[in-house]
Amino acid sequence: MANQHSENDHALNKVLKQWPVNAPLPPRFQEQVWNRIARVEARPGTVTIWNLVRSLIETNLPRPKFAYSYVAILVLLGVVSGAWAAQREAGRLNADLGSRYVQSIDPYHKVAPGE
Amino acid sequence: MKKAGLILFVGLLLSAGAFAGFYYFGTASCRNMMGEQQPELAWLKHEFKLGDVEFARIVKLHEAYLPQCAQRCMRIAELNDKLEQLLSKASSVTPEIQSALAERAKMRADCEAEMLNHFLEVSRMMPPEQGRRYLQWVEQQTFLNGQAMEQQHDHHMSNPQG
Repeated sequence: MANQHSENDHALNKVLKQWPVNAPLPPRFQEQVWNRIARVEARPGTVTIWNLVRSLIETNLPRPKFAYSYVAILVLLGVVSGAWAAQREAGRLNADLGSRYVQSIDPYHKVAPGE
Repeated sequence: MKKAGLILFVGLLLSAGAFAGFYYFGTASCRNMMGEQQPELAWLKHEFKLGDVEFARIVKLHEAYLPQCAQRCMRIAELNDKLEQLLSKASSVTPEIQSALAERAKMRADCEAEMLNHFLEVSRMMPPEQGRRYLQWVEQQTFLNGQAMEQQHDHHMSNPQG
C-alpha cells in the first residue's frame, strides 16, 4: 500500500511540477490527501440502497428505451389511479345526493353513518 | 445525472398530470350537480336520465309536495310534544294518551301514504323503464322497505330484556 502511494506520489509530483503554483502548500499536504482518500474508502456503508438506485437511474434512464418505458408506466399509473379516485369520489357524491333527495321527501329517512 | 433527473421529473410531472386530468373529468358531472340550485333534483335528472320536459314536471311535483310534507311534519311534532306532556303527568295509559297515540299513528300513516303517492306520481312522469327503477330505488331507501321496524323486532327477539 505504501509503495503504491509512493509511486502515485511520484507521478503526481511530476504532473504538479508542470503546474506553476506560487502559493505554498500547507505542511504534510500530500499525506493528508491520501489519508482522506483512505478514510473515505474505508468508511462502512458507502454502498447504500440510495447509491445503488442513483447509479441505476444514472446509467439506465438516459437510454431512450428505458426512458420511454419509465414515462409510459408512470403515465399509465397516473391514468389508472386518477380514474379510480374519480370513480370513488363520484360514487360518494352520487350516494350523498341520492340521500339528500330521499331526505327532502322522507322525514323518516335516517342518514347512515358515512353516507 | 442531469439528463436522468430531467427524465425522472418529466415522468412524474406527466403522471401527476394524467392523475389530475382523469380525476377532474371523472368527477366533473358530480361537481356540476353540486353547484346547482337544487343538487338533489339535478342528481335525479342525471340518475334517471330525464328529459327537460319530464324534469320540469317532476320539479313542479316536488315543489308542490314539500310544503304539504312540512305541514304534516309540524303536526306530528305537535303531537309528539303533546304526548310528551301527557306522559310526564300520567302513571298509566290514560284515554288522552291513547287518543294522542292513535292520532299520531294516523298522521304518520297519512304522511307515508302521501309520500308513496308522490313517489308513484314522480315515477309516472319518467320513461317507463326509469320509472320502475325509480320505484325500486325509493323502496330500498325509504320506509317502504319496512327495514327499521323489522330491525327493531329482530333486536327485541334477540334481546328480550330490552
